[in-house]
Amino acid sequence: MSSQLEQRQLAGGCPLWLLHRNGPAILSAKLWLRGGSSADPIGQRGAAQLLAGLLSRGCGELSGEALADLVEGSGAGLRCEAGEDGTLLSLKCASDDAPQLLPLLLQMVQSPWLVDDQIALERQLNLQTLQRQREDPFQVCHDLLRRQLYGEGPYGHDPLGVEAELEQLGRPQLQQLAGNLGRDGSVLVLAGAIPDDVEALLLAGVETGHWPAEAPLRRAGPDGAGNAGLCSAEDDTEQLVLMLGCTTTALGSPQALALRLLHCHLGVGMSSRLFVTLREEHGLAYDVGVHHPARLGAAPFVFHLSSSSERAGEATAELLQEWQRLLEEPLTQAELALALAKFRGQEALGRQTCSQLADRLALVLGHGLPADFADQCLEQAAQLTPADLQQAAQALLQRPSLSLCGPAEALQAAERVWNRNPLSH
Amino acid sequence: MDAKGGGAHGGRGDSALILPAECEKDTPPHRLPTTPRSSPRPAPSPLPEPQRHQLSNGVPLVQLDLPEAPLVCLDFWCRAGSASESASESGMAHFLEHMVFKGSAQLPAGEFDRRIEALGGSSNAATGFDDVHFHVLIPPEAATQALELLLDLVLRPRLDPDDFAMERQVVLEELAQSEDQPEEVAFQELLRLACPQHAYGLPILGRREALEAHHPEAMAAFHRRHYRADRCCLTMAGPLSRLDLPSRLQDSALAELAAAEGPAAITPLQLSPGSTTLELPRLEAARLLMAWRLPGAADQDSVVGGDLLTTLLAEGRRSRLVERLREQLRLVESIDLDLNVLEAGCLVLLEAVCEPEQLQAVEREVKQVLQELLAQPPSAAELERARRLVGNGYRFSLEAPGSVAAMVGNSALWGRQHNLEAPLAWLQTWDAQRLHEQLSGLLDPARSFSLRAVPS
Repeated sequence: MSSQLEQRQLAGGCPLWLLHRNGPAILSAKLWLRGGSSADPIGQRGAAQLLAGLLSRGCGELSGEALADLVEGSGAGLRCEAGEDGTLLSLKCASDDAPQLLPLLLQMVQSPWLVDDQIALERQLNLQTLQRQREDPFQVCHDLLRRQLYGEGPYGHDPLGVEAELEQLGRPQLQQLAGNLGRDGSVLVLAGAIPDDVEALLLAGVETGHWPAEAPLRRAGPDGAGNAGLCSAEDDTEQLVLMLGCTTTALGSPQALALRLLHCHLGVGMSSRLFVTLREEHGLAYDVGVHHPARLGAAPFVFHLSSSSERAGEATAELLQEWQRLLEEPLTQAELALALAKFRGQEALGRQTCSQLADRLALVLGHGLPADFADQCLEQAAQLTPADLQQAAQALLQRPSLSLCGPAEALQAAERVWNRNPLSH
Repeated sequence: MDAKGGGAHGGRGDSALILPAECEKDTPPHRLPTTPRSSPRPAPSPLPEPQRHQLSNGVPLVQLDLPEAPLVCLDFWCRAGSASESASESGMAHFLEHMVFKGSAQLPAGEFDRRIEALGGSSNAATGFDDVHFHVLIPPEAATQALELLLDLVLRPRLDPDDFAMERQVVLEELAQSEDQPEEVAFQELLRLACPQHAYGLPILGRREALEAHHPEAMAAFHRRHYRADRCCLTMAGPLSRLDLPSRLQDSALAELAAAEGPAAITPLQLSPGSTTLELPRLEAARLLMAWRLPGAADQDSVVGGDLLTTLLAEGRRSRLVERLREQLRLVESIDLDLNVLEAGCLVLLEAVCEPEQLQAVEREVKQVLQELLAQPPSAAELERARRLVGNGYRFSLEAPGSVAAMVGNSALWGRQHNLEAPLAWLQTWDAQRLHEQLSGLLDPARSFSLRAVPS
């Protein structure tokens, strides 16, 4: 791959990484700001996402409409979103349009308008989305499990927020948050065909000529609540949705890579263990897999499955048995080799476009990890043994919780199986 | 809902690795071939030229060399979507797509996936109304082997009765899962009422009773009837320069396919205008869904025009519908307008999400915006905005071999042999006056079917 990585620093301290690529004249920019929904102040859950949504609704000399005209008129894409660990600003454009669009990034962060009328609109949209999400039994099941695993902690809520608190948010709280954007760690990554005078362009909209920011430092992220148990929601659906999971460990921590290989083994691709046993051998589900996002803190590790309610007991038993198996049996050498191949394959899959490359680099650097972290992982993964993976499972996956969403009789059948299972004690 | 992509094999959306899948949220590749630069500028790197070959039995092969791409995409396309089913074959096209992965005479069930994934690749498939495709993404050094496995799997499926019974359970679970999403139920009902007497009005997943009655012999007959030399094509995209894939195909299962006994006719889509209200349990927000018919995919010029119109109306904050209904009047949580490119007639589908008490106002305002579109040509500025959004969407989608292979493969399957630059040229041929005269009128509310879904 003919790409070349270069590190610079913007005036004020923000690290700037440039990934020069041959190929189409496209530019992708990702500005990562530490402090996403996990940094929502007490009583203000939803603030980070509300602020993120408002950044593109007016900044510097541009009203929200003027900004939208500029971005959409260039056929560009702009997205500002809060995740659990950070807020991410993403811009994708034809590289010829970069001179007029790149100045927006820091302008949005440094001088957002935050006008009441636009705050009211964005808040209303977020509240409506939260309400609509309850139509989806997977979302209901997932929200329950998150509550069970993280309680009132920083990872305990949807980045969109908690309705009662979101309703109360207004300009004073948002201004306070906006004043600190980037101070807790930020990094800017550009990938594609990058203009020569890129630093000048980035700072063009900043009056003082510099933006005070710091490189993200490596530090511990939020923890789980330490609870384990059963949670369920009754819903009049055909299927029962099951999620079995626990909180684990941070991206880059000692056992994270072993856990990632377990993820590949269990849930990546159609040859994965859960897919083969639960779907291909038992026909229990269409959708089955593992959810294990990268986090700065205790990341969730979750098996998920949805199955007809009349098979609720069987589905629960099979899912629990797969979890138990992880604790008791090491992978065979062949299984480990396949997991490793998938790990490498997924890496290649995730390095296809400028946006993917910029996104992955921004996330790694945003976690305070080195730029070559992914390559290091590929090397280290080859050294892991089945015993390493089993030790990671035994250390991190001892006490899963079960979350259920479905009709009453299916819940009862699943609960009976859960209560008899050693994992529930 | 994306009618063209309905019913993929396998919900394995959670791609993994060092980084989580959810950190990448690119705009999905545009369905439409279209894209230019709108003003004279330094020339970007030229788009690769498709290399076309044909096997001796007539199967078209298309190669696209993308030297910078890390992976090769192999994409097999066949005109065997749900529109090819007889009444008793409801759901067969999609069920067969599942069964293909259960192995061939040479490949035991699961072996294909294990071998492809052990080579660092991944595979998937999707069944639409018109066609089905099976694709593999694979490192270039393993592409030759993957090609052989893919063709064996797709063209010589074993259809073992025990596997058949087990996979039927999976398909029924897929159906149940979609029926638990009230939004999907509402869309299905919209299509049923808007496209009566047509395959596009029927569910790709099939009717439950029909699925329960299917047997392997009928599926084998469906496969024999449709997987024919004149109804298939194969696309290869990625770093191909060192691979000589076409020569590998001379003795393959693909080269042995016979032609069908005549081309399958496409039944033109007639959309029945109308209106209904549907009460749905478990719905939290109300929906206004609307459907219109535009000319079919063969009329590529109109497809590009349709993409411009839907973009002008509902892509971005400054588009007419989003600006009026969400930003100004604040009646909706979201409003989308999608162009679904289909052979028998494209379907434009609108979805507005709102509070039930706003539904009437939403419908009134949507119609008002459309009446304004009908009354006079769009301004030059908003057309230019739409042109650049559509153009860049297309350009961005050319970055990944998977989306390039899918675009080129779908075109080649239906006998459309343009290169990658052509859609850019078509985009330039539309001006405000021509859009007004030729296309805007097709989005007249009087030509639509509208469905109001409300919580019961």
